[in-house]
Amino acid sequence: MLDLLTYEFMQRSLFAAAMVGALCSVTGVFVVLRGLAFVGAGTSHAAFAGVAFGYLVGWPPLPLAIVFGLATVWITGWLEEKGRMKLDASIGILYTTTMALAILFIGLMKTYNAEVYGYLFGSVLSVTSEELRMIAGLSMLVIGAIVLFSKELYFIAFDQEMAEASGVPARRIFFLLLTLVAVTVVVSLKTVGAILVFAMILIPSSTAYQLTHSLSTLTWYSVMIGVSCSVGGVVLSSIWDIPSGPAIVLLATLLFLVAVLYSPKRRRHVLAGS
Amino acid sequence: MSGSSKPIIRFEHATFGFPGVIALKEISLAVNSGEFIGVIGPNGSGKTTLCKAVLGLMAPLGGSLRIFDCSCEELRCHHRAKIGYLPQKGVVDRNFPVTVLETVMMGRYGALGLLKRASGKDRQIAVEALAHVRMDGHLDTALGHLSGGQQQRVFIARALAQQPQVLLLDEPTTGLDITTQCNVVELVQHLHEELGLTILLITHDINLIRSRVNRLVLLKTRLHAAGPPEDVLKPDILREVYGKDLVITERDRIVVEDYHHHHH
Repeated sequence: MLDLLTYEFMQRSLFAAAMVGALCSVTGVFVVLRGLAFVGAGTSHAAFAGVAFGYLVGWPPLPLAIVFGLATVWITGWLEEKGRMKLDASIGILYTTTMALAILFIGLMKTYNAEVYGYLFGSVLSVTSEELRMIAGLSMLVIGAIVLFSKELYFIAFDQEMAEASGVPARRIFFLLLTLVAVTVVVSLKTVGAILVFAMILIPSSTAYQLTHSLSTLTWYSVMIGVSCSVGGVVLSSIWDIPSGPAIVLLATLLFLVAVLYSPKRRRHVLAGS
Repeated sequence: MSGSSKPIIRFEHATFGFPGVIALKEISLAVNSGEFIGVIGPNGSGKTTLCKAVLGLMAPLGGSLRIFDCSCEELRCHHRAKIGYLPQKGVVDRNFPVTVLETVMMGRYGALGLLKRASGKDRQIAVEALAHVRMDGHLDTALGHLSGGQQQRVFIARALAQQPQVLLLDEPTTGLDITTQCNVVELVQHLHEELGLTILLITHDINLIRSRVNRLVLLKTRLHAAGPPEDVLKPDILREVYGKDLVITERDRIVVEDYHHHHH
């Protein structure tokens, strides 16, 4: 197995997987606590529509993915804030609309384009050095923003109204969080794909949620779980010659199920009930 | 009452609501530093709107409201931090992963401002706030493992950690048993006396607070009465607001039958 590590493509993909794992699991903590799970799913489909549009008109796909993703989260956030619509309904509409756009753009392409499908299902093993630099740069940016605004992000995740009332600029922080979710999704598109990135955001933090009662501990657990599942998934995929995206997600799901079964929270409930 | 000349909060003929829906109409009220004010009124009388207004989250449609001598638009984050707020008790998710200390530390965040990290001093302020509500023995306990009354004390500590001048409590006793209700109100009175906090307490339970407050404010869209409890709790004034369901018992207790079924 060790000789695998001597290949440059393998080093690149492990590095990419580790970074995406860390990024998704940190962002995921706030997504899960603030109840934005569905926003992640909606954004990933919007970003995929951006990629498809890029290939259709011959523009770079990733910047367009960011534009589509950001437009979706901002419209969603704006609709929720205005109280016009519940978040789940508006994201549901945008989710399907952007997916319809993606299918339309693919349909309009004259020829079959395998690269577009690469963004749908992800292929961490084919990450180029240039993509790796992009992933590293944007990951640093997002994680840096989360570290800088962590206290405000925790507060709005716990209770946005109370945060606003006690002097935290909660609205702006909420839009910052939505923006970070969109960027996280786009960064992860190439490695885990538009369909599975959602799982990478939700599963590590949901697993950590089973294991602790402290916000800071939750975040550290989530990162450790995210990174080890991503790296472990890539290793397994190359040993068994299976697709990397599903390997990462299924490994994370397995760990989640184990955590649910052996959760100290659950044990306490059982004890309390007996 | 400490005799500050300038009121902390001043409503002048202030009207609140949304176009077409008036929640509070032409309210005039000055809250002085160090007062303990109880705000009462039936459901839908605008109590929660008053709360939002005091927090600076709602600008008046007409008239004026000045908080710390600022209009709503001028109100900055550091002003907001001077008002400690205990929201109506929602259902706390038992599993939300937050400890008692982490919850109370959040009270420091608004006052600290963006990009500043909480220091040892902030932690000390949070622990002191917990000591004021006698919960300093539970720093690392999960919030969800506490009883309703204990959680309420932790949230009061969170408000105290802001080092506020005003403590605004929105129905702090709802959903608690009678003993716990008394404990919470006693705690608020203690904080009023000990820390010299200005208190605005919104409640349904007139009897629980009538002997403790300096002034009562009686709302039903308009401000029907404001003054010492004995001046406000008069049968004719109360009947005007609560309707005929109001009963004053021989022991001078006020019972409003079925007020939960009233709508605005």
